[in-house]
Amino acid sequence: MRSGGGSALVSCVLAWLLPGAGHFYLGKRRRGAVFFCVVLATFLLGLFNEGRSYLADGQQPLTYLATLANLATGPLEIISRHATYHGLVYALPADENSPAAQALLKSMRDKVKEVTDEYGTTYLLTAGLMNMLLILDAFDIAIGRKS
Amino acid sequence: MLRSHFLNMVIFSVLVSIFFAFLTQNDRRERLKVMAILFLSMVVLSLLIAYAMYPFPLNTAR
Repeated sequence: MRSGGGSALVSCVLAWLLPGAGHFYLGKRRRGAVFFCVVLATFLLGLFNEGRSYLADGQQPLTYLATLANLATGPLEIISRHATYHGLVYALPADENSPAAQALLKSMRDKVKEVTDEYGTTYLLTAGLMNMLLILDAFDIAIGRKS
Repeated sequence: MLRSHFLNMVIFSVLVSIFFAFLTQNDRRERLKVMAILFLSMVVLSLLIAYAMYPFPLNTAR
């Protein structure tokens, strides 16, 4: 699908890979730069405030949405996930008593103990949700639905 | 770490208002207007809600 100056698929992928890159690709350079700065600042504030990435947990369905919001930040999310769990883990093991699950829960609890954890986690989720909107916006511009 | 509730609220409001102003408007004046409306709404409404909640105790189990 190509309209409005660029491929919709390419602009969406670029928007996910780097916040604002989809707009930059579509010729909205100033807007792309502003989006990059805003999403990056939100994400960095999340890291600075000891925010944590979510793990998908079968017993708590809402964690799937939160994990999706984290993933929407793109590759940047690897940094926050690594800072929380010291590795790339996206789901809590089914057996919560296993050593692996206990290690993950301990990493998560260490973050929760930080006084600013709630702020940080909210910033990280917001950065992901903003980037999700940017991907949709880049798609709309690419197909000519929006200028 | 930013431990101030108010500072976090102001920074968050600034970022969100800039984001939505640029997402929804193309004209510079309109962007500034939307930015100001969103920022003031978020901060003022939060303060009003906080003020309304002030008389309620934090822990009723005491």
